[in-house]
Amino acid sequence: MSAVSTTSRPTVSRTAAAPAPPPVTPVDVVGCTVFSTAGQGLDPIADALLRGTAAEGGPAGEAAAGDYPPGLDVRSVPGFSPADTLGRKGLGRLTRTDQLVSVACSLALGELPEQAAQTEPADTGIVLGTSVGSTGRVGEFIRDTFVQELPYFVNPSHFPGILMNSAAGRAAIRLGLTGVNSTVSGGPLAGLHALRFARTALLAGHARRLLTGAFEELSAQRAWAWHRSGGTAAGVPLGEGGAVFVLQAPDEHAEGPRPLARLLACDVGFADPADGLPGVSRRLADCVRTALVRSEIAPEDVAVAAPGASGRRGWARVEEAALREVFSPAQGPRRLAVQQVLGETDSANGALQLAAVLARWQDGRQDTGRERAAVITSVGPDGSVGCAVVARPSGAPSPRR
Amino acid sequence: MPDRDGRRVVVTGLGAVSSLGIGARQFIAALRAGRSGIGPIGQFDATGFEHVLAGEVRDFTPSAHLHRVSPEEWGRSSQFAAAAARMAVEDAGVGEQTLSSVRTASCFGTTNGESQVLEDLGEQWVSQGPDRLDARLIGQVDAGRISAAVNVELGLSGEALTLGTACAAGNYSVGYAYDLIRSGEVDLALCGGADASNRHTHAGFHRLGALAADVPRPFDEHRDGIVTAEGGAALLLEPLEAALERGARIYAEVLGYGMSCDAHHMTNPHAPSIAECIRRAHRNAGIKPEDVDYICAHGTGTEANDSTEIAAVRDAFDGRVPPISSIKSALGHTMGAAAAFGALVSCAALHEGFLPASTTVRTVDPALGPDVDCVPRTSRAQRPRVVENHGFAFGGNNAVTIFGDIAA
Repeated sequence: MSAVSTTSRPTVSRTAAAPAPPPVTPVDVVGCTVFSTAGQGLDPIADALLRGTAAEGGPAGEAAAGDYPPGLDVRSVPGFSPADTLGRKGLGRLTRTDQLVSVACSLALGELPEQAAQTEPADTGIVLGTSVGSTGRVGEFIRDTFVQELPYFVNPSHFPGILMNSAAGRAAIRLGLTGVNSTVSGGPLAGLHALRFARTALLAGHARRLLTGAFEELSAQRAWAWHRSGGTAAGVPLGEGGAVFVLQAPDEHAEGPRPLARLLACDVGFADPADGLPGVSRRLADCVRTALVRSEIAPEDVAVAAPGASGRRGWARVEEAALREVFSPAQGPRRLAVQQVLGETDSANGALQLAAVLARWQDGRQDTGRERAAVITSVGPDGSVGCAVVARPSGAPSPRR
Repeated sequence: MPDRDGRRVVVTGLGAVSSLGIGARQFIAALRAGRSGIGPIGQFDATGFEHVLAGEVRDFTPSAHLHRVSPEEWGRSSQFAAAAARMAVEDAGVGEQTLSSVRTASCFGTTNGESQVLEDLGEQWVSQGPDRLDARLIGQVDAGRISAAVNVELGLSGEALTLGTACAAGNYSVGYAYDLIRSGEVDLALCGGADASNRHTHAGFHRLGALAADVPRPFDEHRDGIVTAEGGAALLLEPLEAALERGARIYAEVLGYGMSCDAHHMTNPHAPSIAECIRRAHRNAGIKPEDVDYICAHGTGTEANDSTEIAAVRDAFDGRVPPISSIKSALGHTMGAAAAFGALVSCAALHEGFLPASTTVRTVDPALGPDVDCVPRTSRAQRPRVVENHGFAFGGNNAVTIFGDIAA
C-alpha cells in the first residue's frame, strides 16, 4: 500500500484566478519593539543595513559554542537582559522565546504615548507567529522522555513552554491583556500570517489593539536542524529575534500619535512546490499584484521591497523571479538585504523585514523622503507565499537623525 | 469597525479521522451509539508509563484517503488534516473545478503540531547524536505544514494558516474561516484541527497528574483527569447563498464566535475569562443566552476544568445551565482537534437532532449544582436550534463558536 509518489501524482488543472477581493481598510502601526542580531530597536537595524552587516555574533545565553554545529555562523540578540524588565523570579521557567516576547510586548505597550495607551485590556490582545514555538525547550523536554529514569520524569514547569502559544500566553499574563490572544504557525510565512490574522480580527471587531509580531530563538536544536538540512544561503548567519508591532483599527488613533506606517493589504497564497518552483514564483507574483491592487498602490509607487527568502539556500531566486514579474526590472523597488544583515530567523523573518522598512524610513541619513510604500514578501518551502503592503503616512514623523 | 452586514456562512461538508471511525458519518454514528475510542497506546512505546491508555486512530491507511499527500513526506497530523479535509469536500459535493476556481482558505488548529516528527528527531539526537539528524524529517517539523497539506491534497491555491492556540485551536480556526467568508475575503474555507498521539504530550500530562486512571469521566463526582488522544476533523464553510445556489445539504449556520485570554495562569482555567468569552460569542452571533439549547463542552474530565466551566456557564447564562455534555468521554482529549470535533458534532446535532452523551459519567458531581444536565450515559433525541461549542487551552486561550439550525 505505498502512497502515490511525488512524480506520479495527478496534476490539478488551474483555471484563471478568481476575481480579486475589494480594496482593504488600512490598519495603523502605532508602535514597534524589535530585538535583532543588531540589538534592540530600529536604529541598530538602520545602522546594520547601512553597514551591510550586524557586527555581533555568537550563541545565546549560557550555551557553549561547542553545543552548536562546527562552522555554522550563529548570532544571538546582543545585550538582551530579560531580568531588567521581567525580574529574576521565575525567569528560568520561561523559554527564551517567552522572554523575548514578554519583554518586547511590555516595552511596546509601555512606549505608547499616554493618550494612545487608553484602550482597555479586554480590547487589547496579542497575535504571534512561530514555527514550532521554543525549539530549545521542545528539544530538551522530548530528550527527557528518553533519558530520564522513567519517561514521564519531565520537568512539569517546562510543560507549558513546549506549546506554540506559550509566549503569547505568558506575555498576556504579564500585561493583563484579556483580549484576543492567538498564535499562528507557518515557518517563514508566520510573520505575514500574524499580520493578516490581526488585520482580520481588528476589522471584524474582535479587538481594538493587537500587539502583533513574530519571534524565533537561537538554540542548538534549531542550529543543528539547519546544519543537517542543507542550511542557510552562503554568507547568511543563523540569527534570532523578532518584532512586535502595535496595530490598531484606523479610527482608534483619532486622539493619538501619528502612526509609524499603515498596513494595507496582506495577502497569502499557496502553490505546491512539487508542481515546480516557477509555479511558486507565479503564485507569489499573483499575491503581490493582488495586494497592490487591493491597497490601491501602483507598482511604480513601491519604493522598497523587503524579501524574505534570501536566507534559505536556493529560494532567493524563486522570490526574486516574482518581484521581477511584478516590478520593472530596470527601475524596481530597492531590495533590503534583511536576512543577509540580520541573519536567517525562520518564523521571525517577516516581522524583521517590516522592522527593516520602518528602520529605513526613520533613518535621516538615507534620502527616503519620497518613498511612500513598501512590500514585504515571504516564501515558504511548503509552498506558502505572501505579500504585505505598507504605506508611509503622509506627513510622517521627521527622521530621528 | 465590525461589519455586521457580512455574508451568512454555512457548513456543508464534514470530515473526520477519529478513534471512533474514519469519516464523519461513521464517527457520529459511533458517538451516538455510545462507543468508546479509548484503548491501549500503540503510537509510541508506552513502557515505563503508569497510564497506558489513549484515544488513538487505529485503522487509518493514508493511501486509502489521500491522493496527493504521501505519508513519506508528511507527518501524521498533516495526514489527518488532509484526509479529513478531503472527506469534507467529498461530503459537500464540491468538485475540483470549483476548488481551483474560487478563492479558498484552509485553516487548521493544532496543539503539538507534527509531534511525532519532533519525537523521532529527539530520539535520533539521543541515540545517534545531533550530527545524524534525518534531513527528511527536519523538513516536516513545521506546524504550518498541517494546513499546507490540505492545500496540497486538494490543489488549493489560497491561504493555508495553522493556528497554534493549543486545545482551543479548532474553534479559532472555525472562527477565522467564518470571518474570512463573512467579509468576502474568500468564498470557500476548510477548517478544523489535527493532532497526533505522542510520547511527550502524554509524559507532560502524566507528570502534571492530569491523566485519568482509566477513562475520562467528565462531570462525574469522581472524575480524575484526561486521556490523551488524536485525530483530525474538518468542516467545509461557504456562503449561504452559494450553498443554496448549488443545492447543497446544509448542516448548520455558523452564527458567530468569540475569543478571550485568561491572562491569569498558564495551565489553570479561569471562570471569569471563560464567561467573558461566552458573552463575546453571543454578542458576535447576535444571540441571547436563552437562545442556546445545548453546549458541547470543553469537558476534559479534570476536576478543575469541569467545575470552572460550569461556573463560567452559570455566570454567562444568568444562573441557568443549558444541557451540556462532553464528547471527550468517548474520544479522549484530541488536543488541537478537540474543538474541531466539537464543532463537527455541534453541526451533526443540529442536523440530525440529537444531544451527544457524557458517556462515562456514573454519578453527576453534585458540587456542580443540582440542575446540571450533562446528558448522562446515552445520547438523547432532541432537536436543538442553537448550539454552543467550547474550546479552552493552556496559555489561557479561549474560543467559543455558535452554530444554528439553518431555519433558526
